[in-house]
Amino acid sequence: MEQVSQRIPLIDAAEKLTGRLRFAADMTLPGLLHGAFLFSPRAHARIVEVDPAGALAVSGVIGVWWHANTPQNSYNSSIWFAGQKALADERMFPPVVRHMGDRVAVVLAETEAIARAAVTRIVVSFEDLPAILTPEPTVAHAVAAAGVEEAIYPDPVEQVHFTHGDPDAAFARADHVTEAVVYTPRSHHCAIEPHVCVAWPEPGGRVAIHSPCQSVYAVQAVVAQALGIAADRLHVTKAPIGGSFGGKAEPILEPICALLAERTGRPVRIAFNRHETFTATRTRAASRGKMRIALACDGRILGRETDVTVDIGAYCTGGNYLPGSMLQRLVRLYAVPAERYRGRAVYTNTLPTGAFRGYGSPQIHALGEIVLDLASREMGLDPVAVRARNIVTPGALEPWQGLSLGNARGADCLHRGAEAFDWTRRRSAASGRGRFRTGVGMAAATHINGCFPGEDEATTATLRLTPEGRIELTCALHDLGCGSDTTLAQIAAEVLGLRAADIRITPADTDTCPYDLGTRASRMTYIAGEAVRLAATALAAAIVDTGGQALNAARSEIRLRGGQIEAPHRAITFADLAAWLSVRGTDTPSATHTHRATANPGSYAAHFAEVEVDTLTGHIRVRDYLAAHDIGRAINPMLVEGQIYGGIQIGMGYALYEDAAVDPKTGRMRADSFTRYTLVNAPEMPPIRILLVEEGEATGPFGAKAVGEIATIPVAPAVVNAVNHALETRLTELPLLPERVLDALGQGSSS
Amino acid sequence: MLTALAPVRPSNLAGLASLMAGPRPVHFIAGGTDLLVSGRRLPETGVIVDLSAVAELIGIDCSGADIRIGSATTVASLEAHAGLAARCAALAQAAAECGSVQIRNRATIGGNVANGAAAADLIPVLALVGARLEVMLRGGVRTEIALGDFQPKTGGLITAVVLPGRALLPRSAFAKLGARRDLTISRLNMAATAEFVESRFRALQIVAGALGPRPLRLNRAEEALEGRTLDPDSLRGFMQVLSTEVDAAIPGRASHAWKRRAIRGVGLDLIARLCGLSPRDPVFEEAL
Repeated sequence: MEQVSQRIPLIDAAEKLTGRLRFAADMTLPGLLHGAFLFSPRAHARIVEVDPAGALAVSGVIGVWWHANTPQNSYNSSIWFAGQKALADERMFPPVVRHMGDRVAVVLAETEAIARAAVTRIVVSFEDLPAILTPEPTVAHAVAAAGVEEAIYPDPVEQVHFTHGDPDAAFARADHVTEAVVYTPRSHHCAIEPHVCVAWPEPGGRVAIHSPCQSVYAVQAVVAQALGIAADRLHVTKAPIGGSFGGKAEPILEPICALLAERTGRPVRIAFNRHETFTATRTRAASRGKMRIALACDGRILGRETDVTVDIGAYCTGGNYLPGSMLQRLVRLYAVPAERYRGRAVYTNTLPTGAFRGYGSPQIHALGEIVLDLASREMGLDPVAVRARNIVTPGALEPWQGLSLGNARGADCLHRGAEAFDWTRRRSAASGRGRFRTGVGMAAATHINGCFPGEDEATTATLRLTPEGRIELTCALHDLGCGSDTTLAQIAAEVLGLRAADIRITPADTDTCPYDLGTRASRMTYIAGEAVRLAATALAAAIVDTGGQALNAARSEIRLRGGQIEAPHRAITFADLAAWLSVRGTDTPSATHTHRATANPGSYAAHFAEVEVDTLTGHIRVRDYLAAHDIGRAINPMLVEGQIYGGIQIGMGYALYEDAAVDPKTGRMRADSFTRYTLVNAPEMPPIRILLVEEGEATGPFGAKAVGEIATIPVAPAVVNAVNHALETRLTELPLLPERVLDALGQGSSS
Repeated sequence: MLTALAPVRPSNLAGLASLMAGPRPVHFIAGGTDLLVSGRRLPETGVIVDLSAVAELIGIDCSGADIRIGSATTVASLEAHAGLAARCAALAQAAAECGSVQIRNRATIGGNVANGAAAADLIPVLALVGARLEVMLRGGVRTEIALGDFQPKTGGLITAVVLPGRALLPRSAFAKLGARRDLTISRLNMAATAEFVESRFRALQIVAGALGPRPLRLNRAEEALEGRTLDPDSLRGFMQVLSTEVDAAIPGRASHAWKRRAIRGVGLDLIARLCGLSPRDPVFEEAL
């Protein structure tokens, strides 16, 4: 392999490092106008009156828009194709605001400074409505919503019930039953680039939207629904993106930016600042999960009962998928003969939730892995051995959708990871009785590869030889900064005998690229990668055909290698072939392939952490870390490692620091800035060893499976389990703030 | 919108004095690590005076009895200065834990004082040693005041911080606890100075930060160790008193329960540093 399995730098690294890459916020257009929002200071209130006069009086202000002068079409910002059925409860500017940070009005002005200054001069009167700020009083929900005709609060928004086998019998014959409740916090993506969008009018009554997004087609579908116009009037292009992690999966600014461009006939830019990105976009949903596990004395899981509530905030978005997603991921890790699951998604008057690296998996695997660890400890069994006894085997079928889990190599991750980490010795070492106590913990996890069996799980890729002799890949691709473009270029280059840098990837554009779901569900390498591989294979065949003509050689004699088309004793470059064809008035070859997924194998991982806890202060340090990943094959080991490093950084924050909780008394997000929202920074990162299990997945390109989302999923439970090992505690409320640690040690508020 | 705020960058004290004597409102900026943070409001009119090029405001002079530190001296310079570390280790240690590398490269000692944050890292050390401030008033008059007498936003400029030589005991130390180790705001910090006579704590003084708007002298904690040797018994008493100091300082605050425990950890870290030991030394473990 010349390209695949190679540590190739990002194909856009030089542009990024030299500052030549233009992000959406860098765009300057003649006549560009700037928008700024007025956000709700109330958790739930009817807007009685909006008086824009003060803002309109400011020199440089173009206009003010709010619910009375904007389309009131209901939409759901999480849809990814036109006509998708989803609870449409969001509006650009609602007459009843549902959370602090909900959009009340927008000012458009000649500069951002003017727009922001004018926003403060809008006078709004509110009539407060009862607000539900915690997910528990679900009955009160319906009561609070009664009489609010505009507000729709079905409760729960969604619920999923699933039973497999005979759970009651399993619990009846269990040797041991463990039960615990695990809380996971609301968390924020913290991408370096805040949300931003630019829109401008195009000829023919169209509007162009340029935004850092995860799917241009999702943007088109959502904006069309919000504006009540035909999708083909919207021309959406993807801007280079400064990080997303799911935070930019749902269009937030795009409908309003497009509306204002259409209304004013001028280009419009709206850029959130950091505070707005915290308080007015999306977060990962907080969850409360209760799990009971029935075990045999040898550690076999006989049955399991799970009850999960997720707080999806004030709008449905894609939150209704969470209970099902969590179930889907739960049942793919261990072979559990009897399962009962109940998952609910409920509204609160808090910031809406959305996609964030794992989409339900971090929550459900935190629950499952922390509870399984407690069970192992109670039974005096080794946590790795218990997991190894129960983990699914290659080719296993999961019980919910009946899908094969493919070449599921979780057991390899457990065994090889434990050996490399020296688990057995370190686990049995004493944690000490002094101030500083050491513990080791681990967790396993699984995640999906794409959206199959969703019927639209497909990607169409076109590769063509350009007249200049380069290879151009056209596909609605959305590299979120993780290097998926580089990975796909490596796949194409491997097939065509080129280098990754020789593949030119056209930016995602609804006018020129076929429909695609976009970057979500860990589908880029596994789904888009296979589409690119198959398209490249078809293009290679066409190039071999035409190359054979040019070189007067038989197909069987032709090799594509080193950027050349080679026959015995003679060769031409791709550029020479393109020129040869052009002179003859013949089109250069191209190939289009639609890859429709037929499987959804699992990616697996086992993570091992060593922590040290200061029992006087409650502070936790992660001192050593090992991540073992079943990756099928690493197309680019360097980028895979990068995903894992970043996944550990996010997961450690989930375990230890990060909490975008809303104050249950006021509805205000407490940690709404980097001063108050504590991220893991470089000095906190432990030494990390990475072990890749590359046993191949038959349905993935060159055997590859996904790593992007799973990299963060086992981290929090591994760290929590290590802390519980160090302290012999049962900490189950994330993040493990120093106060919670001291409480668990009996040294907190009660002492 | 054009701003009426005019930036100027004087290169010497005379130029600075004449700017301060002018009719327009004067705002000072040194490292800008507080003023330029997004979300803070810049003043709308007047002159914004960049102090970073005024040579007389920069530098650490340890050659005399007192230590004199120019107000525009960066925190990174404090951290790196061998002479300062030898005579006031606590200030060098506090500097080393202030903000991040990038912030330390910009932030100044004068700015840390003028900004007056309750969680400021340098202030407890300055309070501990009874630092005095040289201040230049409008009109160019220069005066010296006690640290506690400084009133921000009165138009005066801190030109230097003076650490009185008589207060600089042989040993001093600083310890801090934030949400994480680096680039973190103190939830608790402590500074101490002492000498050891026949292995006993003498003239011990301890100040805690982030327990109130101003640094808090912990007299009872000092008494718990004064005249005693470093032994588990002494440390046990010291830790108990630290908790009662917190009880008195912030009764009923949300952070009370945690801080009354956590201050024991910070206190042990502080004493360990003061004695040149690791907090993992058996003497500290035996005190638990």
